[in-house]
Amino acid sequence: MVVSLAAAQVWAGFCLFGIGFAMHRTGPAFKRHPAGAPVVLLGLAIMLLHSEPPSPESLLVQAATDAVPWIVSAAIGINLVLSGAPIYSNRKPLILLVGLAFILAAWYFMLGILPELTLTEILSWLASILGALLAIAVFAQSVRYTESKTPAEPESTPLSEKERKYVQSVLKRHLEASDEP
Amino acid sequence: MSPEMDTIVNAFLGSAAFTSLLIILALLGTLNPYHRPAIPLTVVTMVIVISTYLALISWGGDMDILAIRSNLVNGALSILDLLYLAFSVLTALILRASLRSRPDDPLIALLEAESDSE
Repeated sequence: MVVSLAAAQVWAGFCLFGIGFAMHRTGPAFKRHPAGAPVVLLGLAIMLLHSEPPSPESLLVQAATDAVPWIVSAAIGINLVLSGAPIYSNRKPLILLVGLAFILAAWYFMLGILPELTLTEILSWLASILGALLAIAVFAQSVRYTESKTPAEPESTPLSEKERKYVQSVLKRHLEASDEP
Repeated sequence: MSPEMDTIVNAFLGSAAFTSLLIILALLGTLNPYHRPAIPLTVVTMVIVISTYLALISWGGDMDILAIRSNLVNGALSILDLLYLAFSVLTALILRASLRSRPDDPLIALLEAESDSE
């Protein structure tokens, strides 16, 4: 069976979104992969911006579109709270309050689309968690097997004095930067 | 199988397939010269195919691209439902983080101690 262009568009967009997100998670926290965010946005645009998605993808696109308001509010709120809370730097009350307001708004949007909580729904959640865990466990076992078949590399040499100073300066710069006036 | 049981089994099989797809995308997005992705990629692809095959036992029909797409969509919808649960937990963690005071950073103290000793 040939996949329709619209279905291919949804899945290509989703794949770009997933790959972009994974790319964005690579590298140190203060310098993410530069292509990650643009690839995510491109994927989202390809996935969501077309007139009529085919079945069964239409269900997914509809659910994703319905979830956009609360997920966007939640993402903004969580980022603001993490910036304003005393985690990486001193407390910033205004940012913290705005972040909490966004989280409240996310709850408001989310409760509007929350499915009715039935026993079947709760068991489905449990089944989904088990299914995801199964896939992760199988993947972890395959990685373990691959690693056991990979010849060990010799131990790396210790850092030189110059490298040690460089690592120290990077850590200091990025751990202390937020406290500086 | 009853429709309720069908829903639960489809959520299990679909989320296993969808999580496997996410793993494949994560492997592709983080590919580097030290990766040996051949076996893990093959294994997670097999999870997608086998879970679709098992789902077909209750749906009926042929094993084709449409069946895989339907299984993946079922999984995506199931995982999307889990976001409600995840956000509830995250809200509790966020509230706790915003109320506590900033902990001392042992790494900064260690770096300062090293700098002083030089």
